[in-house]
Amino acid sequence: MARYKFAVLSLAAIALISSFWFLLDVLGTATHSTRAFGIAAFEDRFNGFGQTVQPHSVYGYLSDNPPNSPTALAEFHLTEYVLAPAIVKPSASENLVIVNYHTKDLDMKLLRANRLRPFRNIGAGVALCQGEKR
Amino acid sequence: MTLLLCLAAIWLAGFGLVRWMFPQPLGWSQHNVLLFSLAIGVGAGVASCLYFLALLVAGPGVTALAWTLGASVVVACALGFLATSHGPLLDWAEGPPVPWYLTTLFALAAALAVIMFLGAVAYNPHGEEAAWSIWNLKARFLFRAGAFWRDAFSTDLGWSHPDYPLLLPGLIALCWKLGRQESTEAPIAIAFLFTLGTAGVLVSVLGVLRGKAQALLAGTLLLATASFIALSAALYADVPLSFYILATLALMFLQDRHPEQLRFSALAGLMAGFAAWTRNEGLIFVAALIVARVIALLRLRETRLLGLQLVRLALGLVAPLAIVVFFKLRVGGPSELFSTPASTILKHLADPARWIVMVEGLVVILFNFGRFLIPIALALALYWYIVRFRVEARDRASLVTAGIALGLMLAVQLLLDILYVDNLGLEIGTSFERILLQLWPAALLALFAASGPLQLVAPQPQGKLSPGKLSQGKVNKEKKAGRGARRVAEIR
Repeated sequence: MARYKFAVLSLAAIALISSFWFLLDVLGTATHSTRAFGIAAFEDRFNGFGQTVQPHSVYGYLSDNPPNSPTALAEFHLTEYVLAPAIVKPSASENLVIVNYHTKDLDMKLLRANRLRPFRNIGAGVALCQGEKR
Repeated sequence: MTLLLCLAAIWLAGFGLVRWMFPQPLGWSQHNVLLFSLAIGVGAGVASCLYFLALLVAGPGVTALAWTLGASVVVACALGFLATSHGPLLDWAEGPPVPWYLTTLFALAAALAVIMFLGAVAYNPHGEEAAWSIWNLKARFLFRAGAFWRDAFSTDLGWSHPDYPLLLPGLIALCWKLGRQESTEAPIAIAFLFTLGTAGVLVSVLGVLRGKAQALLAGTLLLATASFIALSAALYADVPLSFYILATLALMFLQDRHPEQLRFSALAGLMAGFAAWTRNEGLIFVAALIVARVIALLRLRETRLLGLQLVRLALGLVAPLAIVVFFKLRVGGPSELFSTPASTILKHLADPARWIVMVEGLVVILFNFGRFLIPIALALALYWYIVRFRVEARDRASLVTAGIALGLMLAVQLLLDILYVDNLGLEIGTSFERILLQLWPAALLALFAASGPLQLVAPQPQGKLSPGKLSQGKVNKEKKAGRGARRVAEIR
């Protein structure tokens, strides 16, 4: 009987202590750290788009993130998530292109390099640009 | 409030259906705990399939959807609550009494799991990246795009896996539609319910098979698996898939305990079909389950049952599988599996480095799995060294089925990774544990169903048993005898 007790209690203790340890991690993360980007904050940046996003519309996407930056892909996915049901393509060759920038002002060099011109500034680091006639 | 009503309606539809299949008196019983838990998955699967069919037939309007769901709830409730009691009454297996500390440990694990889940979703209410960029994104398209809902499966969104089936996005979009607003509460509540259902099925079925002690210990282990709770709070579809895998195999165990009740096989087929409607891995599970069941029954020379059970399994499977096939052929986008050139697959197959990386990954995960402080594989090995295995003859077919099905599923998924994934190291780092967690509840079921009896309280000498110290089985028998005597007295 004692060996059964030992087996059960040791298995349960390992599981519960591990679970408690992980819970401390979860609560620590939740209360202390700040996120690189939160979805709510990212959605706020696109508030200016408001009701203009129509289903079945297609936008291009351009960002000033370095191509290999870990957040570049996540921010592109977030842009699609926020603007659904519009389709966002990772290309600057669409008629309307969403530019996601992290500097104070829109980088005109970036726009020229991609043959874009500003169409509407949404603010908070998001601008809608139009492709120059190609 | 609307969300709660919607989820209650979905659960009620499931409960009506499972109660129609296994009717027993209402009230607090082991039988009804199992039905309550199974109803979560059945209701979710039925509601999601109906949502998809309503979308195809009547378009995205909310009226047709509300009528469809309402009608299904009424029909399921009528079937379930008008059914008269018949078939087996599932109750705790006979066994030694269970000490108080085991119940306390289980309650503690449940409390820790709830706090962990709530803490994680409060910090990250949209879930982890794969949740919002795949499942919730599709739900947003279904909810927001109106007549253009098929844009969710556009090839321009190839990165969001347009071929993934719709159980989870459909369910989320259904809640949003009926509530007429988007909220993060819907996916969170669905994830919570599936976790609750998984623990409920594991504990109640093990309680029937092996008794309360094994059931509570397995439940403690599952709820204290930090990765499992974290995966649930990440709002991925893996925990719903793990629910369906567990429920299918659990029903196969009950089928072998009650060979004359072929409804267990039919419900297992339905659960397996919903697994295929949850994730693509569910299709692998369906194939693995059929192969495993055939092998198990042939090996154990139960050929008489083979045809009967396979027919019932197919009857349960056919409706959800037909929806999956229709979705794959007519609605969903192309699968990335089919876009990989054969030359790349052969190159991957012939590259020994990839096999070594895979084996390395397996060894590492064996020690890291579940975020336990001590490798759980070692702790389980010690447990079974002490407790030993004891497989009852009537459970052999189910254990062989579970073992082969889970083994095959793992092997096929690892093989697909070797053949198709370019960055194998990254894949192992990000999804290896997830694959194992899909199988974890069912593996716990099989492991504890094979475990020997737990004698945790000193047996009382015959004749000295007080009612408070009777074994669980005897208490149950006495209760039933008491009920019977009361009925006889009432009739007189």
